[in-house]
Amino acid sequence: MNLAQVTAKRIAPALERQWLLGAARFIVLICVCAAMTLLTRSEEYGFIFLNVGNLLNIVRNASILIIIGVGQTITLTAKDVDLSVGSVLSLTSVVAAIMLNRYGIAFPVAICTALLIGALLGLINGLLITHVGLPPFIATYGTLWVLFGFAYLILQGAVIYGFPAGFRVIGNGTLLGVPMPIIVMAAVFSLGYFVLYHTTLGRRFFATGANIETARMSGIKVERVVIAAYVISGFLAALAGLVLIAYTNGAEARIGDRYLLPVMAVVVMGGTSLAGGQGNLPGTLVAALIMAVIHNGMNILAVPAIWQSMVVGLLIIASVLTDQWLRRRA
Amino acid sequence: MKPNSSSLLIRVPSAAWVILLMMIVFTAINPRYLTLDNVVNIILQNAVLLILALGATLVILSEGIDLSLGSVLTLSGVTCVFVMKRLMESGSSDARAMLVGVLVGLLTGTLMGVTTGGLVSIGGMPSFIASLGMMGVGGALALVLADSTAIYISNPVFSFFGEKLDKSIELPLMQYLSMPTFIAVFVFSLVWVMLYHTPFGRCIVAIGGNESGARLSGVNTILWKWMVYVVAAVLAAISGITLAARLEAADSIVGVGWEFDAIAATILGGTSFAKGKGGIGGTVLGVLVIGVTRNGLNVIGVPSLWQPALTGTIIILAIVFEVILSRWKEGRR
Repeated sequence: MNLAQVTAKRIAPALERQWLLGAARFIVLICVCAAMTLLTRSEEYGFIFLNVGNLLNIVRNASILIIIGVGQTITLTAKDVDLSVGSVLSLTSVVAAIMLNRYGIAFPVAICTALLIGALLGLINGLLITHVGLPPFIATYGTLWVLFGFAYLILQGAVIYGFPAGFRVIGNGTLLGVPMPIIVMAAVFSLGYFVLYHTTLGRRFFATGANIETARMSGIKVERVVIAAYVISGFLAALAGLVLIAYTNGAEARIGDRYLLPVMAVVVMGGTSLAGGQGNLPGTLVAALIMAVIHNGMNILAVPAIWQSMVVGLLIIASVLTDQWLRRRA
Repeated sequence: MKPNSSSLLIRVPSAAWVILLMMIVFTAINPRYLTLDNVVNIILQNAVLLILALGATLVILSEGIDLSLGSVLTLSGVTCVFVMKRLMESGSSDARAMLVGVLVGLLTGTLMGVTTGGLVSIGGMPSFIASLGMMGVGGALALVLADSTAIYISNPVFSFFGEKLDKSIELPLMQYLSMPTFIAVFVFSLVWVMLYHTPFGRCIVAIGGNESGARLSGVNTILWKWMVYVVAAVLAAISGITLAARLEAADSIVGVGWEFDAIAATILGGTSFAKGKGGIGGTVLGVLVIGVTRNGLNVIGVPSLWQPALTGTIIILAIVFEVILSRWKEGRR
């Protein structure tokens, strides 16, 4: 038996388990959809859940989660975590909103500035972790509060409504009948998939996450890899914010707050391990759809918004526990 | 070691330098800053944060983190006041209602801690994610219970635990003493004894220093790790209840972000991750750094809009300063 065969034999069970888990996630998605279809059925309107409008709405909401989730999946693959995504989203969209609405700056400039700020904030997170040496969750939790402070300062507690039509296309427009957020999400997802699984940089994320010392010994500049992960995460959070405000046509300082818990839930539910070195991008996609379906169902059923953060919290705990249990059995 | 020019710089914790620097700056801008009244105010305002930060320090000493402490603070305050109000409406005496309310609040905190600790120690979850989940759960419960607003309470016996003593005792100098400060001092001494004179303290420091090493030398790591989260949550509950007494109300989002202040105070106080190094003495200084900053910005008249951004930036810069300085000190030893 040569080396390739030995390796194949050892990897096979792991791959098979991956495949099974992926299938299981799909089955959960279908079950949740079925459950919501039945639960939201009414005598008057029939199966509201299955309306094309509602389904598109779900995918549109999932798109925002997926765009942020791709960045978070990459940071978790490198065994880091970005808790500041929600605040990065708030701050960048607030900056874009001010530029568009108050100063009438052309929208391509506003978009580029917001994305640049997002990437820059990612860079700051990365530097705090690699060069100052703060643990990732401390550094990013710190920036979470600082950035919220700045978003609040810039908007002075106000809410901004109304953006130019050209800008709103990225949230509101359609291309060949498909809403733009879904197109942006598809582009981000494909690009993320390509980078994570088919480039050297992607391999380096896995290597750094699996064992940072080994990665360093093998000549990978791990600091740069970690910084790259945070820059990508910040950039994507900014992009998600732009799509979000273009769709809702309004921005406020706390707009990103409600994304932190769902994004963490989606990524861990998707099978990306907190232990690092195991990014699962397709899993993130399916998990985001599950989350969006649950949210949508709770909205149709008029579950008060305050219960939703409890559901999300419990989902995080349940999915990490499942992940831990599977890992122990393996 | 022969004393040299930098020995003073090394022996005094860097947080003390930060406090000194900021006090000089603030006093230069507004001389009213350095008055006894204001110093007493700073202490009263930060007694609650100190209690919370002591819990955060214990968790960080065991190489974990608890992001749910702010939620626990909120939830305990809300359950305490909720129960107290119901009892008073049904005709209980003030003292009895307070006693039951406080017990229920403490119990709520304990239950939250038991859950988070169980998830971390038995479930094997990374602490930041377990506590992030519990943050969602606790926050939601508080919102539901308080109906997304604040519950006001007027119970003189309860309020006594949140005010300066001159309101109830007619003696000179009483305006400089307050119940929250007494509670904080009492809790600090308790935690001090627990940390430095009981197996609890030795075990969590051992776990923080080297978990598998501690397990191999016979420390019941699962039990003690669990206990750390329970103790931290009980401390968060005490701070939540004290805060409710001080405000005479329990707000459903009052604790949002407090866990960051508590964690920041811990790190500013020189407790660091991954080494089991540091202690609660430094945390007092860390809390003072945050308190002095907050109060100072107020006294020199920075508009409230600017305060979240400025305080956050100062705290992060102070943390960076502390971490870099402590690395430099390590290098000199």
